[in-house]
Amino acid sequence: MFVRTQRDNFESKVVTPGQVITADTQYMRGHGTYLNEEESSHISSVAGVVERVNKLITVRPLHTRYTGNIGDLVIGRITEVTNKRWKVDINSRQDAVLLLSAINLPGGVQRRKTEADELQMRKFFAEGDLLAAEFQGSFNDGSTSLHTRNLKYGKLRNGSLIVVPPALVQRCKTHFHTLSCGVDVTLGLNGYIWVSKHSSKNLDELDPEAIYSNDNEPVDRSTRETIARVCNCINALSRHFMCITDTIIAYAYEASLKYPVKDLLKLEAMEFVTTEVRHKLSVVRSIY
Amino acid sequence: MAPVLISALEADYILKGIDDNLRADGRGRLDYREVILETGLITQAHGSARCRLGEGTDVLVGVKVDIGTVDIDGTEEEVATVKAKRGRVVCNVECSPIASQQFAGRGADDINNELTQMMSRVLNGPQGGLNLEKLCIIPGKACWIVYIDALVLDYAGNIVDTMFMTTRAALFNTQVPKAIIHDLGDGEVEFDLSEDVEEWERIEGWEHVPISVTLNKIGSRHIVDATPLEELTTEAKLHVMVNRNGKICGIQKSGSGSIEHSLLSEMVQVHIFVI
Repeated sequence: MFVRTQRDNFESKVVTPGQVITADTQYMRGHGTYLNEEESSHISSVAGVVERVNKLITVRPLHTRYTGNIGDLVIGRITEVTNKRWKVDINSRQDAVLLLSAINLPGGVQRRKTEADELQMRKFFAEGDLLAAEFQGSFNDGSTSLHTRNLKYGKLRNGSLIVVPPALVQRCKTHFHTLSCGVDVTLGLNGYIWVSKHSSKNLDELDPEAIYSNDNEPVDRSTRETIARVCNCINALSRHFMCITDTIIAYAYEASLKYPVKDLLKLEAMEFVTTEVRHKLSVVRSIY
Repeated sequence: MAPVLISALEADYILKGIDDNLRADGRGRLDYREVILETGLITQAHGSARCRLGEGTDVLVGVKVDIGTVDIDGTEEEVATVKAKRGRVVCNVECSPIASQQFAGRGADDINNELTQMMSRVLNGPQGGLNLEKLCIIPGKACWIVYIDALVLDYAGNIVDTMFMTTRAALFNTQVPKAIIHDLGDGEVEFDLSEDVEEWERIEGWEHVPISVTLNKIGSRHIVDATPLEELTTEAKLHVMVNRNGKICGIQKSGSGSIEHSLLSEMVQVHIFVI
């Protein structure tokens, strides 16, 4: 029983820098915390949520760079093409690497990558290209690696990117969503979100040759408008520091229909949309 | 943080959106983002203003007036006599390296210099609007020097327009102490500064200070108030400085691309719609 109450004390406790987390010395000092001079209490060094594993207290900062976990879906931007690998910006402390051996080749054949592949690496991904990838792991020196060995991953097309704080995107069963308004949203756990035109193609019928093509499909005006609206909704949510999931985006989208797309850049409209979402969430919660 | 690279696919999406008159954030080609302007934030300065554009770009301008000697050099005598009766405007623009990756390290120097030059060129002349002769206290000797310091705190595209808007607001906010001139005879003159804040006055001609409208040429069209991604797609930029009467006070082009003659005149005409 004692343990339970202790746990409750820490759950979802938000602290600011300099705030005393606990005056109990039985705990161990973790990331984001320090001991005061008399070593009698734990103090937070960042603004964030207190987390506790057994005796270890850590504070997970709200505004921070992304730290990867194996299996995470991330969206990255190629910053450099080097020897047998790409450097990818994933909003992390350092750029991740994508090895040439960790991508699917066009044609779908599985084989060793040859020298010829090495020479045409820019045909697959060039500097600036955006891609969806999976976090593969991290090495001893702190560098991290990605892979795109799945047809779900790869180059991103027909849409635009929005950047939000990584803390707002939560880990879910799937990060590829198709909203009822007819656009696809890819939520990268690193806070990069890709909103694009819905591609109706099944993964099996996807042309394996086209996975690295540099051509957008034609996007008509109404789709473009919907994409812009979804982007602005996500932006409004992130400005008000609200969680971003497919349901919340859908709520925000519904609430936003009152305004023309470009008015969603205005502060009052953003305020209105987020209050509506909050209201809706509280209604949904009270039902369950 | 604003990206420094853009993918070919994003650039293509932006380009086609502009052709469709619907940009990535839902704006049309000639729509501005929301401007939030505050004045008088810095108590130590004689005038200050801060402007935020779409909650992204953030520029802070402080104006300080100081007594200095008039600029007496000038190769020709005529130029020298005009200069002897004038005050001066000294500009300095600094982009904070935390605002964007492109302002970090050496790259910032070029941008800072470019912006500083642009601002001094516009404000130090008849097109700048300020009555520089009024800033002169004793001809040939003392004058007011107006130091304008602009600080780019955050970057989300379109620094130049924000900078000029903030500068104009800061100059509106500026109060110059009154100088009381005593004639000591024999052509000797001295002056005191009035302590009475009530007697301080604005710099004459602040209302004629121009603001800038930046037009970004993307494809065969042009847009105003570009976001960072749109700026990366931009081939060439045209900064058109306009005053309150709709008179053009200066034009400057930047970027590596070229602008066709017909498009140029169209772009210059556009400022009227924007303002």
